[in-house]
Amino acid sequence: MLAFIAAEIPRLFTIYNVILLAKAAVTTLSLSAVGCVVGLLCGTLLTLARMSRRRSLWPLKALAFLYIEIMRRIPFLVTLMTFYFGAQVLGFNFSPLEIAFVSTSVISTAFVAEIVRTGLQAVKASQIEAAEVMNFSVWQSFWLVRLPQAWPIILPPVFGYFVLFIKDTALASQAGVLELTQAAKILNTKGFSASLVYATVLLLYFVISYPLARLGGHLEKRLGTARHSRSRRTV
Amino acid sequence: MHYVLHYGQITPYIPYLLGGVLISLALSILSFAGGMVLGLVFAILRNEGGAAASRFVRGYVAFFTNTPQLVQIYVIYFGLPDFGILFTPFMAVLIGMTLNAAGYLTEILRAGLASVHAQELDAAETLNMSRLQTLRHVILPHLFRVTMPALTNQYILMMLGTSMAAIFGVEELTGRAFNINSTTFRSIEVFTTVAAIYVVVTFLATILLALFSRWAFRARVPVI
Repeated sequence: MLAFIAAEIPRLFTIYNVILLAKAAVTTLSLSAVGCVVGLLCGTLLTLARMSRRRSLWPLKALAFLYIEIMRRIPFLVTLMTFYFGAQVLGFNFSPLEIAFVSTSVISTAFVAEIVRTGLQAVKASQIEAAEVMNFSVWQSFWLVRLPQAWPIILPPVFGYFVLFIKDTALASQAGVLELTQAAKILNTKGFSASLVYATVLLLYFVISYPLARLGGHLEKRLGTARHSRSRRTV
Repeated sequence: MHYVLHYGQITPYIPYLLGGVLISLALSILSFAGGMVLGLVFAILRNEGGAAASRFVRGYVAFFTNTPQLVQIYVIYFGLPDFGILFTPFMAVLIGMTLNAAGYLTEILRAGLASVHAQELDAAETLNMSRLQTLRHVILPHLFRVTMPALTNQYILMMLGTSMAAIFGVEELTGRAFNINSTTFRSIEVFTTVAAIYVVVTFLATILLALFSRWAFRARVPVI
């Protein structure tokens, strides 16, 4: 069997299949990247809403809290399928890729919001009080005092989440998005041995994820915040 | 855009879905237990084994934490039959999830083991405890007390991860949702109901695990 599979290898790595895999790898990376960037923007907004001390904003606060608590307890596959079939039923004409982008963004917003919150809360209250004493406006104290101190704490876990999310986006193949796992399914359908194509894709994921994970660890050391090392998402 | 929600068509299926919850729970509990055993062995090997064992564990952890669980199960379920090794869907998913969990749990447990103070081990030695007694009365209580929040977190993630089993035809919660979806075509209703069930189940699991770790290991974890 091994010899049989080995004989397939030159046929598998023809230029067209390599291009297919490379394109798929780019899609995998961009799914995770878009999810994290949108997550960072929307997550920060959600966190600001949640941490706001203005009384009149309580419905927004409650919504932000519920969104963050609930979305982190729904499997990615279920979210993806809700959007996938939901768009169909409601008559929207979205491509699978668009559906996948929306669902990764929706999920990562909740997870990144939690990372952002821990980062913002890590800034000592006395700093904010000092800003208030110096008559800073709410925005000035956020922009000039809180954020510059929080981002070195926020960035490493967000990067860690980005690396983690690369692996979670494998589920997007279930909606027919042409990312690495889907590329493996296509190659398998073309007649290559399942063991060969899936092992290849497994290795590709490793080649993408491992250096990034190492880089993340390095980043964490450089920014001097070891407190969240090795922790995955916090539920 | 004139879509009317009909949750009434889903309600007869609620017991069917709850039956799926049991399979999801079985899958997550079994793979978590298996992952704990493997992870504990690996963590001890990594800390106290020889250079070769340590290198093996490091490689294992790097590999399994840097590749998607879904593709790991694909290799087990679709790849291994090339070599004459066949598993039922449930077994394939269980094995994949166990091996994957072992990678993450090794890291968590290793960090916990590293946090046992040398003085505590010295004290155990002074009290003439055997190695096994030290493990049972000194190391493990400390280990669980320290790692319980991370372990709870990992379990919740694994509970959510069981939804992958649906892809391989295991009829757990998500698998049953697919079944209902294809008979009723009430997609939005089915998947939001299932999402709600996941939220409730993981929420209950968090509370129960927090209570358990308070009771069993006197860990200082907030219940909510």
